[in-house]
Amino acid sequence: MVNDRNSFIFRSLSTLLVILVINFFLPRMMPGDPFSTTSADEVGGEIIVMTEEQHLYYVNYYGLDRPLYEQFLSYMKNLMTGNLGRSIYYKMPVSDVIMLHLPWTILIVVSATVVSTISGVVLGTLSAKNRKKGSDRIMMTGMIAFAEIPSFLLGLILLLIFSVYFRLFPLAGAVTPFAHYNGPTDQVLDILYHAFLPVLTLSLSQLTGVYLLTRNTLITVTTKDYIRTARAKGLGEKNVWIRHALRNALLPVVTRTGFMIGIMMGGVVLVENVFSYPGIGMTLRSAVVGRDYPLIQGILLVIAVSILICNLLVDKIYGKLDPRVVI
Amino acid sequence: MIKDTDASGNAGILSFIQALNINKTNIINRVNRIGRVNRIDRVNRIGRVNRIDRVNRIGRVNRIDRVNRIGRVNRIDRVNRINKIVSSVSRPFSRFSTEGKIGIFGILCIILMAVFAPVITTYSPQRITGDSLEPPGFGHILGTDELGMDIWSQICYGARMSLTIGLAVAFISGFGGGAIGILAGYIGGYIDQGLMRVIDVTMALPSFPLLIVISAFLGPSILNVILILVLFSWAKPARIARSQTLSLKKNSYIIAARNYGAKPFYLLWRHILPEILPVLFVLVIGISSHAIVAEAGLAFLGLGDPTSKSWGMMLNHATGFRSIYFTPYWQWWLLPPLFMLIFLLLCLAFISRDMERILDPKLKMKKGF
Repeated sequence: MVNDRNSFIFRSLSTLLVILVINFFLPRMMPGDPFSTTSADEVGGEIIVMTEEQHLYYVNYYGLDRPLYEQFLSYMKNLMTGNLGRSIYYKMPVSDVIMLHLPWTILIVVSATVVSTISGVVLGTLSAKNRKKGSDRIMMTGMIAFAEIPSFLLGLILLLIFSVYFRLFPLAGAVTPFAHYNGPTDQVLDILYHAFLPVLTLSLSQLTGVYLLTRNTLITVTTKDYIRTARAKGLGEKNVWIRHALRNALLPVVTRTGFMIGIMMGGVVLVENVFSYPGIGMTLRSAVVGRDYPLIQGILLVIAVSILICNLLVDKIYGKLDPRVVI
Repeated sequence: MIKDTDASGNAGILSFIQALNINKTNIINRVNRIGRVNRIDRVNRIGRVNRIDRVNRIGRVNRIDRVNRIGRVNRIDRVNRINKIVSSVSRPFSRFSTEGKIGIFGILCIILMAVFAPVITTYSPQRITGDSLEPPGFGHILGTDELGMDIWSQICYGARMSLTIGLAVAFISGFGGGAIGILAGYIGGYIDQGLMRVIDVTMALPSFPLLIVISAFLGPSILNVILILVLFSWAKPARIARSQTLSLKKNSYIIAARNYGAKPFYLLWRHILPEILPVLFVLVIGISSHAIVAEAGLAFLGLGDPTSKSWGMMLNHATGFRSIYFTPYWQWWLLPPLFMLIFLLLCLAFISRDMERILDPKLKMKKGF
């Protein structure tokens, strides 16, 4: 187990290193000067023209006139001090731009994780209890078909149904523009109202995984001896299922949650664009359209690091939940 | 032990052929041939479960016909190979469930649509042939987009794009990654260890954000998209092919064949690859649907090839149109590519699910809970 954990940390670290290297070499691998191409791309009708001064700043910032190893060292030094460079489009530090948008992404990803985990566990338990009945088979077929639709297409469908056809939910944004709130409750309600569809989309796309995992582990767990013992002791069905079966079946679900966040960070980029939700996914798209390279690199780094942190956290939590795992 | 199976195999075939009253010279010819290394391999392999199936089937009429015809060695090989291919295609098909058959039918429809796109459309997808945003009608079956281009033509030609990217990525990364995995598993040692580390890191990378960033830096073109997708999807087939090779390598029939002097390439080609190929096929279908989703996602973000008309590009244009949701235009502009993408992905999913079930009987039992 110790060996396993070492390899896990090694893997995370080497993944981070690979991302840093990709981040470092990509702009340098481009033919010519990456900053000359920024001059005349339009963003929403606005034309960005880089002044000679700015151009010099970027050449200087990336140290393109120095040898490669020196560039890499200074790049690492900048990262360690939290300096991600300046965004060309927003004309402010990249870290500030990311901090402005990251909370929205965290809001929908975290709530989608919570919603899909809870509902997946509940549905999985129901399904495992009623297995060999018709309702389980219907649920399972429906869930599996659902899982094959990628999240952004699902988001488009939900948007068309709920926002365009029934006009129940807003088409875009995270808050109502120019709204005056009567109190904090109003504001929270408005934010929830806008976040509803993105969260629903993300949760639905992740639901099947949790559901199937819960169902299958529960079915395996219920064949174990300690379940028979619990029944033999005369415990009620509810007690047996919740205290003895579900508790043990939840362990793999916890691990799954970590992976889920990783998958969702990829999907959220597209889903945010479907709902025009102002998280880092939207920012990434506008940065790509505007060829805002420092911002693109910064966002990639933030996404990668957050995925790695989630994995590490899950690893720690797992150790706490299952004492058999030696840390 | 190897000699025993060999002898009993020969005896079995001898008595079998004698029972059929076949010309004597033929028999001797064949038995002599069997004495050679490649034949012994085959007999040894018959000892395994899936091989017994094959021996039983020899008893059937079409097989007897084949035995009579065997006069020359290359004949045997050729017939064997053709039979293998035919049975590997037709046998699973009859075992597909209704869903799987629907999936295959749907994929066939889409492939036909893509191949015969110039025949079934009247307009070019790149040319302005009507008014802007015409609703579906006689002139344009599915209406036109904002520039007046026919939507039905765009859908048909877009199928080419999705299928090309899906198939290209799947085959390159599926079989390329599979080959790398087989070689690493067979060679073992430091090469294997190193490759495992590379695979671990590749699988831990956040693929979609990296895809966006790399294609933003490299510029949008079909070739770039294919290359990047291959870069991110070779790891899974490589890992599975490696672990399968490791377990196959220990089988006694492979050790026996090696002791008879079989070269590594021969072993990999004749014994290991055929066993891994079905698993790789299932993976290829999965990878192709991933690639199609990724391409559609990239195009949806505006990172697809701007000169091509793919379904993702259509979604990008339609959602980029300012007041699309406040007008009825979405009904014929946004819905068709959306529907086609989902339909294609569902078909692929049905097929891969069914193939998994057919190839892995254990999984079937699990599902039958």
